[in-house]
Formats: sequence, structure tokens, C-alpha cells
Amino acid sequence: MPYDILNKYTVLDLSNRLAGSFCAKLLSQYGCRVIKVEPPEGDPERSQNTPMFLHLNTGKESLSLDLKKPNGKEILKKLVNSADILIETFKPDYMKSIGLSYDDLCEINPSLIMTSITPFGQSGPNKDFDYTELTIFSMSGGMHREGLPENYPIRYAAEASQHYAGNTAAAAITSALFKKITRKQGDWIDISIQECFAGHPHQIALRAPFIYSGVSDERMNPRFMLNNGSEPYAVGTFKCKDGFVSFLPLGARMWPLVAKLMEQEDLVTDSRFDTPQKRFDNRHELESLFQKWLNTKTKEEIFKITQNVGLPGAPVLEIKEVFENEQFKYREFFTTLEDDDYGKLKYPGDPFRFVGKEFQNLTNSPKLGAHTREILSTELSISESDIEKLKDSNTI
Amino acid sequence: MTTSNLPLTGIRVLELSEIWAGPYCGCLLGDMGAEVIKVESIQRIARGPLNPPEGAAQYPDAHPSDEPWNRFAIFNATNRNKKGLTLDLKTANGREAFKKLAAVSDIILCNYARSVMENFQLSYEEIHEINPAIIYMLMPGYGSTGPYKDYRSMGMAVDAVSGHTFQRGYPELEQSSNSVVHHPDAVAAINGTFALTTALIQRENTGKGQLIDLSQAESFMTHMGNMYLEEQINESGIKRKGNRNTEYAPQGVYKCLGDDKWISMSILTDQQWNLLAELIDPNLVNNEKYDNKTKRLDNHDELDIIIANWTSKLDNYDVMNQLQAIGIPAGAVLNCGPDTYDDPHLNAREFFQIIEDPNTGIYPLSGPVIRFQNSSDEIIHNPAPSLGEHNEYILKDILGYSDIEIKEMEELEIIGTTPLLGSDMGGSRRLESEK
Repeated sequence: MPYDILNKYTVLDLSNRLAGSFCAKLLSQYGCRVIKVEPPEGDPERSQNTPMFLHLNTGKESLSLDLKKPNGKEILKKLVNSADILIETFKPDYMKSIGLSYDDLCEINPSLIMTSITPFGQSGPNKDFDYTELTIFSMSGGMHREGLPENYPIRYAAEASQHYAGNTAAAAITSALFKKITRKQGDWIDISIQECFAGHPHQIALRAPFIYSGVSDERMNPRFMLNNGSEPYAVGTFKCKDGFVSFLPLGARMWPLVAKLMEQEDLVTDSRFDTPQKRFDNRHELESLFQKWLNTKTKEEIFKITQNVGLPGAPVLEIKEVFENEQFKYREFFTTLEDDDYGKLKYPGDPFRFVGKEFQNLTNSPKLGAHTREILSTELSISESDIEKLKDSNTI
Repeated sequence: MTTSNLPLTGIRVLELSEIWAGPYCGCLLGDMGAEVIKVESIQRIARGPLNPPEGAAQYPDAHPSDEPWNRFAIFNATNRNKKGLTLDLKTANGREAFKKLAAVSDIILCNYARSVMENFQLSYEEIHEINPAIIYMLMPGYGSTGPYKDYRSMGMAVDAVSGHTFQRGYPELEQSSNSVVHHPDAVAAINGTFALTTALIQRENTGKGQLIDLSQAESFMTHMGNMYLEEQINESGIKRKGNRNTEYAPQGVYKCLGDDKWISMSILTDQQWNLLAELIDPNLVNNEKYDNKTKRLDNHDELDIIIANWTSKLDNYDVMNQLQAIGIPAGAVLNCGPDTYDDPHLNAREFFQIIEDPNTGIYPLSGPVIRFQNSSDEIIHNPAPSLGEHNEYILKDILGYSDIEIKEMEELEIIGTTPLLGSDMGGSRRLESEK
């Protein structure tokens, strides 16, 4: 449920791809007024009312506008005059080609914050490449290590790189907005999805050993991930009584905790397992002891026990279980909205909370052009007859 | 007066954090011009082991040297653009120095448990009393309220509880084959930056500070909205898809020439399919087995074999360039080390910068990712601070401590530049011993 902290600021969301739409949605969650500027035929995701469309467009207003028509361009320029932020995801140089480059818009509003989110940024040999989540994720350095060594690299399930880049853009925009407020300066932000994910903390941290000493990370058996394979019998995801649980012991000092977890503390001094090397050599034996214990416990039981013992372990929840989880329920993280097609739907809430600040009501994704008339007549003072003409020429 | 055009110039941040989420958040703030002071202690370090073996890959030339804590790859990669201060916050003098610093700072970015800060008597309420405009962020795994408020957590636990782990991995294998993913940490770092800068705007408009409660789980779950909705909208719920996607067929990664080299591609339209088919085997063009998306989805396994046969004899960059030239989304699957490091596009954009660090020597490291046109000539990339590197600057120049006072603090081991014995044993051990 959104906040009203940024309610003085207006965002023109020209995005036609995930990262830009998500960025604008995040800004709306902290109070920005977001006008989604769509072509007259609408956002391509809209026609099928996909889960992705619903996810990306809550809290926005919709203005349908053909930016390729001179009248459409004029209307956008008028909106830019009073807007604070513009987000676009077109190919580099497209905005320039239709007369709406940063320089063009700067002439109208010098303190505008324009944000361009593209797969490879505004410059460089690949700048005009097309992309999908799979192809851009694969070029970020984050995918090659995912999966088993003998199998193919596999992507994350979430559209991770585009969401991550959109979220990065939101943080860049609020930083630029702070500068605009304190120093009256606008800016043009160039976000490359590839760079965001190649500069992701895991990528930079796993790349540094390569740069320092030439050792590259590779896909590996999940039991050997991190800590160079120390304590491998209890790393990764395991089956338990009613599903799966994930574990990450933190090196040799965690061994007594694993024994405590299994309520077999005598194993700590067992001569088969009393050094890290022996635990590595006898890892299959240890893993089967661990597995035997896991088989007797549910994932919720294991979660509670790991917390008591002080080990990082967690239940692998199915999506339907997430909705029922006691923590998310207690914090009222999901908000329910009524959708015309699907009835009641639960939406995830805000990424962070301003303690003590009031929530506003979340609103459904707008119908195509739902706010066109209102914006044109009340804000831009365009007459009824001119609005009809724009409609007839398919500009709106 | 500063003349920098970077957006956060003039903002001072105190960072108390380890590993991923907090440190990377500090990096981003530093990249954008903030003065980020990383508050560490010689009593406890998160800079690798004190006595790593010779040959460990984490160190320049696999050589840990005399001060391995200043040469540790993971730490150095995720702590650029910061100043280093050590303070033992368990001592009254250490806490006093921290409070003096908090009084002249804008932001406290803290990734320790709330209880740790309460035990130090440095909670939001206590800092707010001396600096009402302070912006103070805590970022626990599941948020500061509710049944999990004191749960310890790591990225992979958040990944599991969010539902992401269950959806990840090979659809044909069970989840126990899944790799360990800490991606939620990175998302928390980004959202932390978004939160803190939003609070700066609020402070500018109202004069008031703010306590921020960032749940790493909730922060990440905002990236999964479409997945939660798909579960509710589709009658059969959400399925594991692996590299496939019902909108694209075929879509996947395919083996190329060379050791562990792969290409990814996605075919959206029939026209794109025919263009690809033309390259593979002209007989495939308009073949009625594959001439629409439904048929291609039904015969996906078969198509995967046909495509892999073709790609396996080719270089992955060549396939990428060939497919992109005809409008087909394709990407070389780059590994994190040599492949991204050599990627011509990243290099053309100067993603890597040559960094001279007195502790490590000269190395090219991954640089800032957010590019502002109006400060594009000021991209800053300073090496991570050595332990306590800026003690004197901070205590003397910012807080006005005398040389004698600073010397006394050194003698009392409140500050220092050499970690104490046992300081590398990590948080869990310390928490255990404090119980």
C-alpha cells in the first residue's frame, strides 16, 4: 500500500518494457503521480490482461497518445513542461528520431530527470541489440554459474535482471530528484540492464578473485558452493518430510551447530567427523545422517529449530504457501484488489516501510486511456472540440 | 563549497554492515557522491580470515601477504568509494565517538540486528535525540515487526521463503539440485539506496528524519508480483519453466564451440523462426511441424536438438552477432570472470576501471553502474579503505579530537588498524559467546 512521500512529483512513464514499467510502479508506491503514456492501441501486454501487465501497472494513470503524430508530440511536450521525471525504454536514438531527445526536452524543462533503461545502455557496439529476459540475463555474468556442472546454465525464475535494473533506476531517480530539489538541476540517467547485473554485488565479488589471481567461478555441485566445499554435507536444498529446505552453514565453526540441530552432539567428537578434512572425506555418510534427520521433520519445524540453534536454514515455500505465511500475514504485506476479469487478486506490497507514515490505498491498473480526457482538458486546457479532433485523428 | 555534480555530494553516511546487502548499498551511495564512512572494529572483521593459506585465490596473485584483511577480494570489490573507521562500540568512548559522528551525519545504514544496536545504546530513538533529522535504516531478513522479527537470515533463506527457490531450477529435476542463490541481498542493497534517497527528499521537504524498516524478503518479493498473480490467475497455478517461456518458442541456451560456451536465444514470431530455420537448414523453413508457436512449443525438445546441432559447431559471439543482425534476440552466456571481463561491449562502455590500491597494487575493477549525464566526467572509483584507514581524518578533522585523545583510544584498542586475534571468527560465534 503506497505512501504519499513523493506526492509532489510527476512521472511520465513512456516504457514499453518491464524494467521501465517496474521503475515507474515503484515510484508510484512512494507517492509519485505516474502517467502511463501508451500508444492508442495500448501497451502490448494489456490486450491479454496478463499477470505481468497487472503487476507492473497498479497505481498509474493512463494517457493514450501517439508520439509519432505532431499533435501527440506537442501534447507530450506540454506534459514535460510540468513533469519532474520521464522514463523511457525505447532503443537508443529513437527518442531523438521523433524529436524528443533529452536535449529537446531539456529546452522545455531544464530540470527534467530523463531516465533511459535499455539492455546495453546508450552507447557501445551492442546498443541496438534486441533482448528478452533470458538473453540479457545470460550476458550479465550471473547465469553461467547457475545449475549443475554437467547440465546447461539456467536462469532465475523471476525476471530478475529487468526487475533489478528497474529498481536500480528508481534509486537513481530519487537520488537525481534530491539533486533537483537542492540544486535545481536535472539530469539524464543511462541505465544498462547488462551493467546493472554485471555490477551486481555477487558478480563483482566473484569476478574480483579472477582479476586478482586468475581463478574463475564455475557451475558446481550445490553442496560445494561457497566456502570452497567446506562442510558440504549440509549446503544447498534438501528434501524433508513435507517438501524442501535450504541450508547454508558458514564454514567449519557451524559443524557443532549442525550436530546440535540433529540432536546428535556426540558426533562432534566422533573420530569420523572431528576435523573439516574428515567431514569432507566422509561427507556422504554425514549427508545421509543429515538426510535421515530431515526426513523426520517438516519444513516449518526445521525453520524454527534452525533459528533456535543459530543456523541459516529456511523452508522452500511454494507460492501458495507464501500467501499463508504467518510473517507476511502479520505485516499485511499482500493487498487485495478486485479485478474485473479475475475477481480478488493479492498483490505484493512495498519494498520498504517508512515507520510511522500512513499508507494510501493501492489502485488497480488503469483502463487504456482512462485519464486522457481529464489530463487534456483540466491540466492542459485543451478544448472539448480539439479533444474530439485528436480522437478522430487517432492521436489519442 | 563543493563543485561536484554528483547527486549525493555533501551527504554523510555511517555504514554498519557486512557481506552483501549493506556494503553494496554503501557502494551505491558512495558512487553517487555521498561520503560513506564504514564503521568497523578491530575486535571483529568481515575481511576474510586472519591467516589464510598461501595460494588462496581471494588475494592478489594468490598471495595474502602480511595484511590479508586489506587484500581480500570480496571485501575490496564491495566496498569501493568509502572511508574506513574502526570503533569498539562496546566501550563508552567508542559509543561517544559514534554519537558525535552521528550528530554530524545524515544517514545511518545498518545491517546488524536491531538488538545489536539496542545493546550498544545506539538505537534510532537514541540517535534521534541527538540528531532529529537523522535517517536511520535497519534491513533485517523479514522486517522489524511480526513473528520473524528477530530471525537471522541470509539471501538464500529469503530466496526460499519468498517462493523463488521453489520456482527455480531444472523443471525435469527436483529442487534439491538447485544452486544456492543470494540475489535477495542485492535487491535489498538497491532498495536500501532507493529508501534512503527517498527519505532525503522527505527531509528536504519537512525537515524531519526517518526510521526505515526494510524487510529483505518483502524487498525481493516486489520483483515477483507477476509470479504471485500467475499463481492466482492460472487455474493450474504457476509452473516451473526453466529457461523456457510460453511466449517464446523456441527459447533456451544451446552449447557452442569451446569449453562450457553457450548461446541463449528467444524466438517470438513465425517470421523470426523462419529466419533462424534458414540459417540452420533451408528445409526447415515453412516446415509444417514447426510453422506456428503452438507447434513449436509442442515440439520444443526436438527443436532444441536441431538448434544445438547447429550451434555446437559455432562460436557463441558469432551466433549472437548473426542472429542479432536479423532481429533475433540472442546473447552469449558469459561467465562472471573472463567472459564479462573481456566483453567488447562492457569494455567500450568503460565498465572496468584501473584502480591503484596501495594494499593490492594496480587492478582493473568493476565500476559504478548508474550513469548521470551531467556528472559523467566525475565517475569516482576509489579503492576500498584499509582497516581504520581514515581514523585520524574522521576523529581529528571531522570531530576535533586531539592527537593525545586519539593516541589514548589506540592504546585502549578502541580504534586501530590491525585486527585482534579471533576477530575473524564472525558474527555467529560472537553472538553465541555474548548469550
